[in-house]
Amino acid sequence: MSNLIKKLFGTLLQKPWDKDQMVLDTSHTGKTFDISSQKSAVIIIFGIATVLFSLIFTAYIYSIPPGQDTMYLLKPNLLWANTIILFFVAYFFSRITKDLEKKETSKIKKNLIIVGGLSYIFLFGQLIFWTQLMKSGNYVTTNTYFSSFYIFTAIHGLHLLGGLFFWGKVSSRVLKLEQNKILDEEKNISALSWYWTFLLIVWLGFFLMIYVFNDTFIDWCKSLVS
Amino acid sequence: MSEEFNDNKTIHAQSSETISGGGSSAAPDIDYVRPAEVEEQDLYHGHSFITKWVFCQDAKVIGVQYFLLATFTGIVGLILSWLMRLQLGFPGAAGFMTAEHYYQFVTMHGMIMVVYFLTALFLGGFGNYLIPLMVGARDMVFPYLNMVSFWMFFIAVGVLMASFFVPGGPTGAGWTLYPPQTILEGTPGSGAGILLMCLSLILFVAGFTMGGLNYLITILQARTRGMTLMRMPLTVWGIFTATVLAMLAFPALLVGALMMSLDKVLGTSFFMPTILKAGEVLEYGGGSPILFQHLFWFFGHPEVYIVALPAFGIVSDLISVHSRKNIFGYRMMVWAIVGIGALSFFVWAHHMYVSGMNPWFGFFFATTTLIIAVPTAMKVYNWILTLWRGNIRMNTVMLWCLGFIVTFVNGGITGIFLGNVSVDVPLSDTYFVIAHFHMVMGIAPLMVIMGAVYHWFPLVSGRFLDEKLGKWHFWTTFLGAYSIYFPMHYLGFIGVPRRYFEMYDSPYMTSAVGMNEFISLAAFLVGAAQFILIYNIIKTLKTGKRAGSNPWKACSLEWLTPSVPPEHGNWGDRLPVVHRWCYDYSVPGAKEDFITQTTPPSEVQNTGVEKT
Repeated sequence: MSNLIKKLFGTLLQKPWDKDQMVLDTSHTGKTFDISSQKSAVIIIFGIATVLFSLIFTAYIYSIPPGQDTMYLLKPNLLWANTIILFFVAYFFSRITKDLEKKETSKIKKNLIIVGGLSYIFLFGQLIFWTQLMKSGNYVTTNTYFSSFYIFTAIHGLHLLGGLFFWGKVSSRVLKLEQNKILDEEKNISALSWYWTFLLIVWLGFFLMIYVFNDTFIDWCKSLVS
Repeated sequence: MSEEFNDNKTIHAQSSETISGGGSSAAPDIDYVRPAEVEEQDLYHGHSFITKWVFCQDAKVIGVQYFLLATFTGIVGLILSWLMRLQLGFPGAAGFMTAEHYYQFVTMHGMIMVVYFLTALFLGGFGNYLIPLMVGARDMVFPYLNMVSFWMFFIAVGVLMASFFVPGGPTGAGWTLYPPQTILEGTPGSGAGILLMCLSLILFVAGFTMGGLNYLITILQARTRGMTLMRMPLTVWGIFTATVLAMLAFPALLVGALMMSLDKVLGTSFFMPTILKAGEVLEYGGGSPILFQHLFWFFGHPEVYIVALPAFGIVSDLISVHSRKNIFGYRMMVWAIVGIGALSFFVWAHHMYVSGMNPWFGFFFATTTLIIAVPTAMKVYNWILTLWRGNIRMNTVMLWCLGFIVTFVNGGITGIFLGNVSVDVPLSDTYFVIAHFHMVMGIAPLMVIMGAVYHWFPLVSGRFLDEKLGKWHFWTTFLGAYSIYFPMHYLGFIGVPRRYFEMYDSPYMTSAVGMNEFISLAAFLVGAAQFILIYNIIKTLKTGKRAGSNPWKACSLEWLTPSVPPEHGNWGDRLPVVHRWCYDYSVPGAKEDFITQTTPPSEVQNTGVEKT
């Protein structure tokens, strides 16, 4: 991070008209960061999605109705199982990334299929959790707490579906490739890996948020202060 | 489809020594350029009419498509403003117009002009056309995504326009779309109208995100050799920073539009408090209308700079080229653009002083609002200092630039009035506010757009726009715009409220009637004057004077393509190599008053350094 800040401010301090600077500038490759366009795109999507989810978090915090059972979502339920599934996805992606680094391609196809399968299981699990919620009488219109929950999980699901679209495109190409050509797709696969890691971070952030911002926790904090 | 890729060529960029046939033997070291490291881009070349001009992946064609569609929406917005002014100046003259129609026209005019006209035109139009050319790229990094971006915008415009034709018509809640009244019965267009507006905004944001990804990655990762960030024209800096703002601000609009749609369709209550209607409690409850205001203005204020920053960048380049001077304080100009961009996320609640906020909150936002005037004023000084002792060409482009500076200063100063809570509260909801924001983010950016059209039209078409018609266009617009907005400041001071269909029997009806008539006549004239440009373009395309290569004798890369207008791929066989920044005008010791960015040092050895 400090390197990035130094680079940024160093860049902004350059005097492009200066003779010495001109010599340095002319030897510039034209690229700002040494990463692929695909990874750059994923980083920018992270930025946009972070703002998007932060705003929904804010709406969530803003709108917890008084007297709401804010621990409801955290009682043993399918959300915990789905969280574990997301951890498994991240684990398999980390194995893929390590294999790519070692140029070991024998398990990449299998692991790519596993992460796609697990992601679909996650989505399916989310749908089941929604039906369970509705059966218990908590609909999207019940109160703003549940409205926020539904909208967050829906957008997270759409975000995941967007990732699965690109996963489908990359996987279909990789599965057709011979073992020794898989490394040609390295940029795309590692961009996917970043994308899924981000999905997990957002999910954990959300989990933390619904855990931290609830009446019980706030009361406990107040008791500590008093 | 695969045979259409036959024309794809993988070409490797070569150094300038190779390009010029090794003409740098006198001083080979100072011209040294490292071999190409950035991979060559495979481009999709369309062959049929459809793939070449409709579903096209060439950023320049996409830029023109954006420009034309944004202009179309702008004309719709203009006609709506005429209808509003007709009612305000001559109540009842448009027999069909009811108060509901008036509110719908106000709403659609505002949203169209801010989002679908100005934003789309600056970022979609100029961004697409100029970014690859100015940074020396063959195209955007993801051309297919870029094409999809335009067609998403097209569908968004279609959905928005469709709202004119649904039962109840378009939404009439004001362009800020404040709930709860936006989605409640009694507000015009509270049914299908508001839903189509929200859907259109969601599509616009999705489409823009695809385009924005392209702009950012092309600028950061796909520049040609020697093109450092600090050698980029300020136009690119402006578009780059505005795109960053848009990528961070548009999600707020997306979330707001989505939640409001859910409030309307599913009956959620994100923005809906408990409401009594005719003694009956509605099913809504627990939500906060103020939350929507925060979301809207978290988007809405950066939106001002999403429009202004590209305008700042473009006008800097136009002033530099047409006064034959390097831009004064280039680094300061870049810092100001970046600084304004960062600060723009900390001022949003100055639009909400009258929402009943905590006074300390208002104090904070008043402070940040006034701070943002500092980098903005720096830019104004630098434009004036660029002009100072310049070899000014008093052509149409320069006239628009000067018009911009004056108008922007005017609108900016009234912004300082309104940034203060105690001044804003009495002026809020009066015509003073209308005058302020039309000057600063309506007329001022429009003047830059016009200047840019006259400047870059020779690049796009190979012909000069007619100067005489251009000057008529400028003077009518400039004087007309001041005739509209100067009196509005006065109307605001005497307390004439905005958003009123008519003044009824209030004292304003008698005291402001003459002024309202005058403003309306000026508005009709200014609107009509814009058709001079359309006539000029049509005439020029048929019989205009041919411009040839680099007609303005500019330094920046977009004028240095092998063919004019540039072909798909921009640079022929070899990518350009950049040896200097793009503001080497009137350099002491140089034979001509400009040195292009691709001129190697060995060709201009005895030149000095123009201090900036």
